[in-house]
Amino acid sequence: MRAVSAGDEMAPLTRLVDQAQISAYAEASGDHNPIHLDPEFARGVGLPGTIAHGMLDMAILAEAVGRWAGAHERVLELSCRFSKPLLPGDTITCTGRVVSVDAASGTATLQLEAVSGRGDRVLTNARAVVRLGD
Amino acid sequence: MAKADANVNSEREELAGMPDPSHVGRRYVAPGQAVAAASVAAYARAVSGGDEVFSPGSVPPTFAAVYCLGPALAALFADPELGIDLAGLIHVEQSFAWLVPVHPGDVVDASAEVSSVESKRGMTFVTVELAARDGGGETVCTGRSLLLLRGGR
Repeated sequence: MRAVSAGDEMAPLTRLVDQAQISAYAEASGDHNPIHLDPEFARGVGLPGTIAHGMLDMAILAEAVGRWAGAHERVLELSCRFSKPLLPGDTITCTGRVVSVDAASGTATLQLEAVSGRGDRVLTNARAVVRLGD
Repeated sequence: MAKADANVNSEREELAGMPDPSHVGRRYVAPGQAVAAASVAAYARAVSGGDEVFSPGSVPPTFAAVYCLGPALAALFADPELGIDLAGLIHVEQSFAWLVPVHPGDVVDASAEVSSVESKRGMTFVTVELAARDGGGETVCTGRSLLLLRGGR
């Protein structure tokens, strides 16, 4: 991996998330909460319809960081706030910027964000620590 | 008199089924979580949508949702004394730290511990500390979930 310094931008990752993907994530993750699967139920609890799992949004953010770092296992820490729901049929775009590099431990800290195509800030207060390559 | 009793009962019913600070320290275990290759592949496909899967065969970090967060929180949600209503539950924040990479074929023990319960303005915030340990007892992953429930003092 090339030299990394504070201010570097992570390559953004944009993904269209449809209901089929949300349903596949429910199956793969074991989270079958009906707010993700049943529009009637979701509307009954005050949502506009089904919403993506916050963990699916976070998984796409983690993938963006892993792609930037070069491997899944270089992602050492990841945290985020699920600020706004991502609705089926919308895109999520993950961006990030290096805020610090620790040469001694060979790690970098990134500040991250994910926004939807509608302009909602889906993931905020997001941060990752990655292990840099040799 | 009968009416007053009914009121007392309904108030009790409302307060039962909501976590309170007395639940801090409760710990739940979900042992024997298999990191199965087929489950990892299905998870990676679900995250990729129709796009090409990134690094197929390796374990995506957020697969911790499957071997740690999911089963550990399921054990916590099953505690009738906490009485968490999934319909009113909002996942507010999540963090993970991956200390040791996990690989397909590994089996880990997941746990969840309630570390904080705070109620304000009719909402209850529950913080849960998560961990996954391998067969040798080494911690491979830790996490923290902040959950919001509607209700409470």
